[in-house]
Amino acid sequence: MSEELIEQVKQLIIDALRIEGMAPADIESDAPLFGEGLGLDSIDALQLVVAMEKSYGVVVPDAATGTKVFQSVRSMAAYIAENRK
Amino acid sequence: MICVMFPGQPLTQENNLPIDEDFRDIALLTRRMTGLDLESFSWGEKILSRQVALQVYGTAISLIQRQRLQSSGVKPAIIAEHSMGIYPALAACGSLADSDALTLTMRVGNSLASMAGGVEYSLGCVIGLPATTVLSVAENNGAYVANRNTSRHLLLAGERHSIESAMAESLSLGAFSVRTFPCDAPLHTPLIESIAPQLAGIVGDYCFAEPTVPLMEHIEQEFLTASDIPDFLVQELCLPVNWEETYLALRRAGITAWHEAGCGDSLKKYNRWIASEQQ
Repeated sequence: MSEELIEQVKQLIIDALRIEGMAPADIESDAPLFGEGLGLDSIDALQLVVAMEKSYGVVVPDAATGTKVFQSVRSMAAYIAENRK
Repeated sequence: MICVMFPGQPLTQENNLPIDEDFRDIALLTRRMTGLDLESFSWGEKILSRQVALQVYGTAISLIQRQRLQSSGVKPAIIAEHSMGIYPALAACGSLADSDALTLTMRVGNSLASMAGGVEYSLGCVIGLPATTVLSVAENNGAYVANRNTSRHLLLAGERHSIESAMAESLSLGAFSVRTFPCDAPLHTPLIESIAPQLAGIVGDYCFAEPTVPLMEHIEQEFLTASDIPDFLVQELCLPVNWEETYLALRRAGITAWHEAGCGDSLKKYNRWIASEQQ
């Protein structure tokens, strides 16, 4: 998994969630996305599912997979790298 | 054109609230009018339910946020409301005094709490399934759609066992997320009609001035007049909230900037989702 993909995922998060005033460099690759980290919730997660599918053709099929995928930017990038078409 | 949106009851109290002059003013008013202490989130002498506390808390935080928006020069062209956000919205459009918005919230909340009578009610949030599927799930399990927030974010209300089985069915059908929350009464469902006369009696104790800023309601997306308000306040508790249609109607009305006055930012997130589907 490349650093370039990790940067792309950070930008995808910013764009999909329309986070104002935040740059990719402001997001830590291993920080939790939910709770104490970026503070995302299930509504955000579904928005990210759609964005990942649109940008990379990657499907998050169920909630259990989503829980693993959305642990951090790095886990999102790893899932994309493994599953993109 | 700016819209200030007032969200419904929060699920929990906020962390790290800034204690400034606006907070202190509304906290004092809240304690005086309802007995709820905002900082400690506790009742004074008269102890009401946790849900009523959250409802009053939600109205109070919305009033504080409205004050802050005003101080920063935000002038809404339209005010919008979601569920129990109607009470601070009425204050924001000049139809009701802040003190009355707080007592009305408390009295309506307490009336809803009295409905339970041994029955346990719940709310269930389903994210990720199409609305038609969630409607079927609700019907199958004897629950009701209480909020249609977006095409993929719906809230069900009903008796606890109905909601729990509806959430299990939703998950089995591929819902991305389901959550169940306790509540005093099945808000925004026809079950509330059983206490409609009681609610109308409470609403009848208040005088509503003509809104000085247009106030769009969440059922038919009409602008409320003073004479509409009493009936709407009862009706809205018996019918589902349709935020998706409200957002689209606000956009058609020319709204281009959005401010959320209340706990959290759920309405902004719903808007983001709905807007993304329009692209």
